[in-house]
Amino acid sequence: MDMENQRRVKELAEKYPKEDLVVILGGAEAEASGLAAETVSNGDPAWAGPLAGVQLGLKAYHIFEPEIKEQVDPAVYEEQVSLMEMVLDVDAIVQEVRSIREQYAAW
Amino acid sequence: MRIVHYLNQFFGGIGGEEHAGHRPEVRPGPVGPGMALKAALGGTAEIVATVICGDSWFNENLEEAKATVLGLIRQHEPDLVVAGPAFNAGRYGMACGAVAQVVTEQLGIPVVTGMYPENPGVEVYRRYAWVVETGNSAAAMRTAIPAMAAIVKRLAAGLEPEPGTYLERGLRVNTFAAERGSARAVEMLVRKLKGEPFTTEYPMPSFDRVPPNPPVKDLSKAKIALVTSGGIVPKGNPDHIESSSASKYGKYYLGDVDDLTAETHQTAHGGYDPTYANADADRVLPVDVMRELEREGVIGKLHDYWYATVGNGTSVANARAYARAIAEDLKKYEVDAVILTST
Repeated sequence: MDMENQRRVKELAEKYPKEDLVVILGGAEAEASGLAAETVSNGDPAWAGPLAGVQLGLKAYHIFEPEIKEQVDPAVYEEQVSLMEMVLDVDAIVQEVRSIREQYAAW
Repeated sequence: MRIVHYLNQFFGGIGGEEHAGHRPEVRPGPVGPGMALKAALGGTAEIVATVICGDSWFNENLEEAKATVLGLIRQHEPDLVVAGPAFNAGRYGMACGAVAQVVTEQLGIPVVTGMYPENPGVEVYRRYAWVVETGNSAAAMRTAIPAMAAIVKRLAAGLEPEPGTYLERGLRVNTFAAERGSARAVEMLVRKLKGEPFTTEYPMPSFDRVPPNPPVKDLSKAKIALVTSGGIVPKGNPDHIESSSASKYGKYYLGDVDDLTAETHQTAHGGYDPTYANADADRVLPVDVMRELEREGVIGKLHDYWYATVGNGTSVANARAYARAIAEDLKKYEVDAVILTST
């Protein structure tokens, strides 16, 4: 996750109760999505950005995960996401993000 | 044990490529990956300061950068320097390597770093540092830091790091053996013949395998090019191709040449006796024979240019880069096949 986004997430987490925050990811493959989920929960795994060593414990979900998909207007999801859902490895992405969440999310 | 840590601008938290021109600075205590390293080291050692420098600035001002960074490191009186890890970031790896060199030579203390094996910093500077093998991106930080910490702990305890926990340094060390070399070699050979395991005393370098191109269908219609690592250049070596560890290759017009002579051509190569190549450079770059074959219709045409570099001591990475550039050029001229000559 780039430094600017890390900084934004950190600011929001300082402003709002962490248990109320959910980070929605749109990464195109499993490893990158998992690293982003890890960054907002356990801290930047590359130890380079504002979240290096900062364990926010935030929950991160990928937009493909059923918990999030169910919350979205199906027509909007169809228009905005379904094409990518067809071409990307959804199972691998969902599994990776879920596994990171189970390990590191505090809420 | 006191450690000074070297980082680039990205891992130092200053910023990405737009900050690669950042000049060297020093901060107290650990920064970025240094925090992870501190946790991994426990109480073994203390990171007393972190030196941060932009990758572009370091590499573009190499001598000044080495001196400045060394000065910043020296003022904190470290017992050991950690650099990186740099993963597969080329300029960062070269900077970590150069830091390792100057620290080794000037301060005489050990340096620990981490790089992906293909990082050019490994090839150039491995003899100056204990280089832990890492993955090719920062995603591998979680495995790189414990591996580097393990080496630091060994060194802190006054022990040599275990072979296999770092990339080979290319250093030869004299040791005494009970049996003389010939006896040991025969022993190994006998074991090999029996199919028994044995351990070589001198591992051979490993080379990559390149799949052959498809055959030339009709030589009589093919345009053929000559490319050599034997250093054949126009007399006077106009591009000053080095006699060893060539930093470039040359491309020379051949359209009006039928025969290479002692008056017109020579070799720039410093790795073999040049007498016979200088007397008749066709011995290395067979232009005369190619012209005959062209006249006889055996080949369609000899390409109007030849390409030459000196293979003597030239790094594989450089050779590969020259080959890529030459191949692009050959494709532009629609050359069908290449004769590569060496020495």
